[in-house]
Amino acid sequence: MNARAVAAWSATCIFIVLSTTNPAYKAAVLVAALAALATGVGLRRMRGVLTGVALIAAFAVLLNFVSAHLGTDVLFALPDQIPALGGPYTLEALAFGATGGLTVGAAILAAAPFSLLLASHEVMDALPATLSRSGAAIAASLNLVPAVAASFVQVTEAQRLRGWRPRGPRSWSEIVVPVVLTSVEGSIQLAESMEARGFGSGRRTSVKPGGMERGDWLLAAASGAALAMFLVSQAAGWAGPWYAYPTLTLPPIDARPLVACLFLFAPVLIWRSRS
Amino acid sequence: MAVAKLTRLTYRYPGAEAAALRDVCLELEEGLTVVTGPSGGGKSTLLRVFNGLVPHFYGGVISGSASVGGLDIIATHTRQLARTVGFVFQDPELQTVYNAVDREVAFGLENLALPPPEMAGRVEEALDAAGALHLLGRTVRTLSGGERQRVALASALAMRPQLVVLDEPTSQLDPQGADAVLAALMNMVMRGTHAVVSEHRLQPILHQAQGLLVLERGAVMAIDPTKWSPQSAPSPLVRRSAMGADAWSLQNVTAGFEGHVVIDRVDLSGRAGEVVALTGPNGGGKTTLLRLIAGALAPLSGTVDRRPGRIAYLPQNPAALLHRPTVRSEVTFTLHRAGDGERPEAILEELGLLPVADRYPRDLSCGERQRAALAAVLPGAPGLVLLDEPTRGMDEAARATLVKLVARLRDQGAAVVLATHDADLRSAIADRIVNVAGGRAFEPAREAALA
Repeated sequence: MNARAVAAWSATCIFIVLSTTNPAYKAAVLVAALAALATGVGLRRMRGVLTGVALIAAFAVLLNFVSAHLGTDVLFALPDQIPALGGPYTLEALAFGATGGLTVGAAILAAAPFSLLLASHEVMDALPATLSRSGAAIAASLNLVPAVAASFVQVTEAQRLRGWRPRGPRSWSEIVVPVVLTSVEGSIQLAESMEARGFGSGRRTSVKPGGMERGDWLLAAASGAALAMFLVSQAAGWAGPWYAYPTLTLPPIDARPLVACLFLFAPVLIWRSRS
Repeated sequence: MAVAKLTRLTYRYPGAEAAALRDVCLELEEGLTVVTGPSGGGKSTLLRVFNGLVPHFYGGVISGSASVGGLDIIATHTRQLARTVGFVFQDPELQTVYNAVDREVAFGLENLALPPPEMAGRVEEALDAAGALHLLGRTVRTLSGGERQRVALASALAMRPQLVVLDEPTSQLDPQGADAVLAALMNMVMRGTHAVVSEHRLQPILHQAQGLLVLERGAVMAIDPTKWSPQSAPSPLVRRSAMGADAWSLQNVTAGFEGHVVIDRVDLSGRAGEVVALTGPNGGGKTTLLRLIAGALAPLSGTVDRRPGRIAYLPQNPAALLHRPTVRSEVTFTLHRAGDGERPEAILEELGLLPVADRYPRDLSCGERQRAALAAVLPGAPGLVLLDEPTRGMDEAARATLVKLVARLRDQGAAVVLATHDADLRSAIADRIVNVAGGRAFEPAREAALA
C-alpha cells in the first residue's frame, strides 16, 4: 500500500465532503470511507475511531441545534430570558447540524487510513527525497508517542503510591515534571542512537523509495476519476446545493455525482485487511 | 594490532566538577573486551568515547588523544565514525527509529546513502549475524526485549563496523532474552567483528574475552580476564523475627487491559515479615501482579486484600519517581508525606548514597539512579514493599546492600514482594518463589525454583 495513493484517495474524499453542501453526497463519501476502513483495518480496530467520530459529530449536531434558532418547523422552545439557550429549537437547525456532523465524520474517516493502515515510515516514504531526513526524524518522534503515554501511567501510579493526590493545578507538577523529563531523556537517547548510526552525515537514500504497485495506481486512478466527475457535476449544476433554512426540504439528488462518489469505494476492492 | 587506543584521556561533562574519565591509557585488542566496575565508575562514558558521542554529542572538556580504526575520535564526528563503530544502547525501546524490523536495520545504511538494491542483502546478513533473521517482516513494537536488542545489534552490524560497542545490553532483559543477546554477541565476535561490552553478567562471556577493563572513579585498570574472579553473590541473611499474619492476598483474581487478560484466576498471598519473589519471562504478568497487590490496578474479577499501612512501590523505571532537585530531597519528600520523623541520611547511608545526596538524581549513573529510587520509596517503616526489578543496572556491591536493606525491612515486619530476574537476589532473600508465566502463577518448591 502506497501512502501517495492513499493520500490521493483521502484528499478526494475530503475535497468532495467540503466542497458540497448536499448531505446526500457527503453521506455517500462517509459510507465509502467506512467501507474502506472496514476492509483495510477491520471493524474491531475501528471501534475507537468510530466512537471518537460519533462523539465529535454529536457535538456538532448539538452545537448547531442549541445555538441556531432559525427555521420554521419549531420542535420546542425555551424562554428567551435564558441566555444563549433561550429561543425556538427547530428541525432545520437539527438537520443543518447533522450535515455538519456528517462533514466532520466523513473527513476524519477519510484521513483515518494514515494512522490506522499505514506505518509512520510508509507515510514518510511518500515524501519527496529532499524531505527524507525530516521524514526519518518525524517517524522516530512518532515512535516515542506510545512511550510517553506509558510513562504518564507509570508516573501517576508511582506517585499515587507515594502519597500524591490531585489537589489543584500545582499538585500536577509531581506528575508532569517526571513525565516531561522522562520524555526528554527518551528523545535524547533516541537522538544519540540516530547519531551513532550516521544520521545527519549527508545525503540519504531510502530502502523503499515509495514505488506504486498496480493496486496503488488503480486507487489513484479511481480517486482521479471521482474528483474529475464530481468537479464536472458541480460545474454543470448536477451536484445541486442544499440549505436547510428557512424551511427544510429534501436535498436534490442526481445520479452523476453519486457515480463519482461510487469510485471512492475502490479501496474495498483493492485493499487487503491489515488487521 | 590495537582496534582502538586512548592515551592520557581525561574527560569532564559540561558543568561537572569532577572528571568522568581520568588519565585513561588503554589499547583495545582484537576480539572481545569486557568492561566492568561499580556503578557511576565511568563505564558508559568510556564506551561513548569509542564512537565519539563523548565529546561530540555531550560536549564537555576533553584532553589527551583517542583513535579507533585509525581515525582520530576527537577530530571526527560521531556521524562519520558510525561507519567504523557500531553502538548498542542499554534500553532496547529507546533506540528504535522505525517500527518495521527491515527498515530499522536499514536505517544506518540509508544514512550512509547506500544504493537501495544493496540494502536488502545487507539487512539479511546483519539479522543473520545477530541471530534475528526470523524477525524479518515483524513489527518492532511486537518484539520482546531480547528480540529488540538483537535487532539493535543487527542495526549496528548492517553498517559493517570494525568495532561494536554494547552498553549493558542485557540489563533490561529476562534470562532467556539476555542469553540470546550474549549468544549473538559471541557469534558476531567469532565472525571477526571486534566488540567491547559493558556487562554485569560476566560469567557467560568472560572466558571468551581477550581483554578486561575495570573502571572505578573514572580510572581504568586492564586485567587479564583469566585471572579475574568476580565477587561472590550476596549471601542469605539470618532472619531475626518470625513471620506474621497474612499481609496481602489475591483470591481468584483475573486482570488485564484493553480486552487482553494478563493475569488469569490467580490465588496468592503473602505474610508480614515474608519475602516473596516473582519470577518468569518478560510479559508473563509479574508487573501486573505487583500493580494489583499495590492497588494501582483494579482486577477484572476476584478479590485483592491488603492490610492497612504504607505501601512502598518501586516501578520498573526508576525515572517515574524522581522529580526533586536532589537525592536527599526525594527521601525527605517521602518521609514528609508518610509523617515519619526518620532522618533521610539513614537510608542514604544504608544505600551508599551519601556522596551523591546533594546531586540531581537524573544526573546519576543507571545503577546509582536505581539506588536513589529505592531510597525515595523505602525510608521509614513501610508495611508493604513492592519492588519491580530492583537490581537493574546494579553492581555486586549494590546488590549486597539491597539484600541487607530488604532483610531489615522484613525483620521489621514488612511484607515484601520482588519481581526479579536476578537469581542471586532470589536465593539470598526470598522465602518463597512464585513463577508467573502466561498469566498464571505457580509455586514450585523453593529449591526447585532456585535450581
